[in-house]
Amino acid sequence: MSGTSAARGVFGAVLILALWEVTARGFALPAYTLPAVTQILGAVWEHRAALQAAALVTGFEAITGYAIGALAGIGMATLLVLARPLRAGVLPLLLAINSVPVVAWSPLVLLWFGVGVSSKIVMVALAVGFTIFLSALAGFDRVDRRSVDLMRSFGAGRIGIFWRLRLPAALPLIAAGLRVATVRSLIVAIVTEMLGAYGGLGWIIYQSVTLIDFVQVWAAILVASTLSLAFFGAVGALERRFIFWR
Amino acid sequence: MNATAMAALRLLGGVILAGLVWEGVVVLFGIRPHLLPRLSEILAAIAFTPGAYWAGLQRTAAETLIGFAAGTAVGIVNGLVFFRAPLLRDMLLPVFVVSQTIPVIAFGALVVMWFGNTLMAKAVIAFYLTFFPVTVNTLLGLNSVDPRQAALLRSFGATPTQILFRLQLPMALPQIFVALRLGASLSLVGAIVGEWFGDNTGIGVLLLQAMYNESVVALWAAILCAALLGTGFYALVAWAERRIVFWGAEQ
Amino acid sequence: MNRRHLLAATGAAAVSPFIRPAGAQTLTRATLRLKWLTQAQFAGFYVALQKGYYREAGIDLTINPGGPNLLTENLVASGADTFGLSGGTDSVFAARERNLPIVCAGVMHQQTPFVFVTRADGPIRTLADFRGKTITTWFTGANFVLLGMLAQAGLSRGDFTMQPQQVSVQPFVDRQVDVVTATRYNEFFTLMNRVGRDNLRSFVPDDHGITFPRDTVIVSEQTARDRPQMVTAFLRATIRGWREALRDGKAGVDAVMSVAPTLNRPHQEFMMEEAGKLMVAGGAARNGLFWIDRPVVQAAHDFFLRHEVIKTPLDLAAAYNSSFLEAIPLADRIA
Repeated sequence: MSGTSAARGVFGAVLILALWEVTARGFALPAYTLPAVTQILGAVWEHRAALQAAALVTGFEAITGYAIGALAGIGMATLLVLARPLRAGVLPLLLAINSVPVVAWSPLVLLWFGVGVSSKIVMVALAVGFTIFLSALAGFDRVDRRSVDLMRSFGAGRIGIFWRLRLPAALPLIAAGLRVATVRSLIVAIVTEMLGAYGGLGWIIYQSVTLIDFVQVWAAILVASTLSLAFFGAVGALERRFIFWR
Repeated sequence: MNATAMAALRLLGGVILAGLVWEGVVVLFGIRPHLLPRLSEILAAIAFTPGAYWAGLQRTAAETLIGFAAGTAVGIVNGLVFFRAPLLRDMLLPVFVVSQTIPVIAFGALVVMWFGNTLMAKAVIAFYLTFFPVTVNTLLGLNSVDPRQAALLRSFGATPTQILFRLQLPMALPQIFVALRLGASLSLVGAIVGEWFGDNTGIGVLLLQAMYNESVVALWAAILCAALLGTGFYALVAWAERRIVFWGAEQ
Repeated sequence: MNRRHLLAATGAAAVSPFIRPAGAQTLTRATLRLKWLTQAQFAGFYVALQKGYYREAGIDLTINPGGPNLLTENLVASGADTFGLSGGTDSVFAARERNLPIVCAGVMHQQTPFVFVTRADGPIRTLADFRGKTITTWFTGANFVLLGMLAQAGLSRGDFTMQPQQVSVQPFVDRQVDVVTATRYNEFFTLMNRVGRDNLRSFVPDDHGITFPRDTVIVSEQTARDRPQMVTAFLRATIRGWREALRDGKAGVDAVMSVAPTLNRPHQEFMMEEAGKLMVAGGAARNGLFWIDRPVVQAAHDFFLRHEVIKTPLDLAAAYNSSFLEAIPLADRIA
């Protein structure tokens, strides 16, 4: 079953790539409109050293920011669940920060943290942190009021309830948040790099546009997309193991 | 009515309190304006050229709404088609997934070439970011409907269309709304990023101008506008959800 | 893309339905893509637009601002925009080398618009002092100008650290880097405000024999071939607007700020004045605004060739076309 659907997926991808190739070659589209797939693959090979170095920078930013964001998000949600009085004060502030679309923070973050790696990490942590914070909080709150009362009547404390009841209930939602956040982390890193950076895939894209090398733009995007899918797959695989263990 | 008024009053009180805290913290701790200007300074900047901010707000809101509406419609249709035609789902869904790993901003020039320097170009990006979560959640929602219920309706002589509109779609609505709430913020992101590809009006334009002129006050003014729009739109979707899903459940 | 290409191909004149009441002349629709966000650097275009000079010249013009990650050459080559104000001689070289079908019809800034700035009280007094220092610059042309300048002082690539510069001059203000690149009309203003004019020392490329004219007016080869009168009409209206903006800087800034009201006025007035100086400098004094100074362009070309920024010599006669300008009487072009 899953074998056939995978085969269909591959078929669909091949079909679209073939259509792309034929369109680009057949209409002899210039590279600034749409380069052919084979041209892009050729560029990836040709610039593999530069692209690999850039992928390492972007990957580092994304993964570091992701780790910080995930820890901060889960930590903050835990804190707010355990310390109710804090919640009333902090939650509105966090929601206010989150109501600003994440890209709108990027200019400010660039001015504050500079053009280097740290501004990208901050942006990724911000984007990932809120995604996971909101899923974790929703998960922790998902428990039934009556179950909480029941456990309390058995003498369970706040922490006991959290550990036995809230955390297990929240895990699927946290896991979903962690998965969704992978792709976001790379996109946010790249978008921020394009506004200002010393290196990375976004920087390569920016430079390639100013140097009028559109095949390289596509090559960098191909690498970015592959990196996203790999990260997504890795987190998904880890998650299956982890949940299986529990 | 009274309760609504109370809630509005409380909200207003909260906003005023937050504003006072902001102002107080900046003054008290002597925070450099380069990091965080006083709120009053930011509001003064908005009051100095209210027209620019108002026009930007309207423009960005229009782009967001069009993109969101199109993304919702296409997403739901996609979800329905994929639900009915697993072959198409298996072939196209992975491609959709890949499409979402592409940072649109990299294709600024392409978007301009294809759609011109129009409001539509921005709406297209908002659409691009919105349609995917709606597709996935519609499919998830439809798949979560118990097939035995559908079988039961069918035994009563219900047509597939009736089953879809009376059972499956209403049951999928809560899932769909989860995606719509996400789409509300994503479409705004899309509209703002779209405005970075050369335009005169919009919150994204104000953000860029402020950034490249290193004007932190103007930057915060634009951020406030973005927050206002983000909150408003999210609240609108949440309100619709309460009304529609409630109505759906009553059926 | 296809749609726009078709549009350009089928209705080369893309005649607009609007009829001017007075002259009953049909207006041609066209767009101008700027190289950057709306600011006083482009004041003349906005003056010409708002005073109706383009309309009088038969063009229904829309001005589209630029932005990060948008390349004017690309948009003009593809037909998405009719006219472009693009990076400069350097980006025209790059575009022609990659076979983008664009032609330069005029040059706005006759001198190199950027300078390299250090602190007046710092250790850098001459170009030779750049050894071992950290420099930030734009990797889109300015980097090569700096390399050329430093080569004259006997320094080569490994003798200093060169980093890409973007977004902010703050690292220089915070003393994290020794040298920063600034356009005379934009970043220099921010630096003056944060560090103080007297605390800055500038190294000017033109003082070292390197001149890079920038801010080039470009059209596609197709437009240049099929609609030369329109290009001339565009330049005539543009120069009209600029002559007014240069004479009355305040009005120029007003025109810009009516489009982008949140801009900082003192900054824009400074920009207006400094950008104006670049426009009337060099060959423009004798040959008028937007003059294409061929010897200077040739020198810039040879410089890039020497530094292997462009790999093969370009046909400059094809890339730079002065005929549109020359169709306008010189008296109308002089600022």
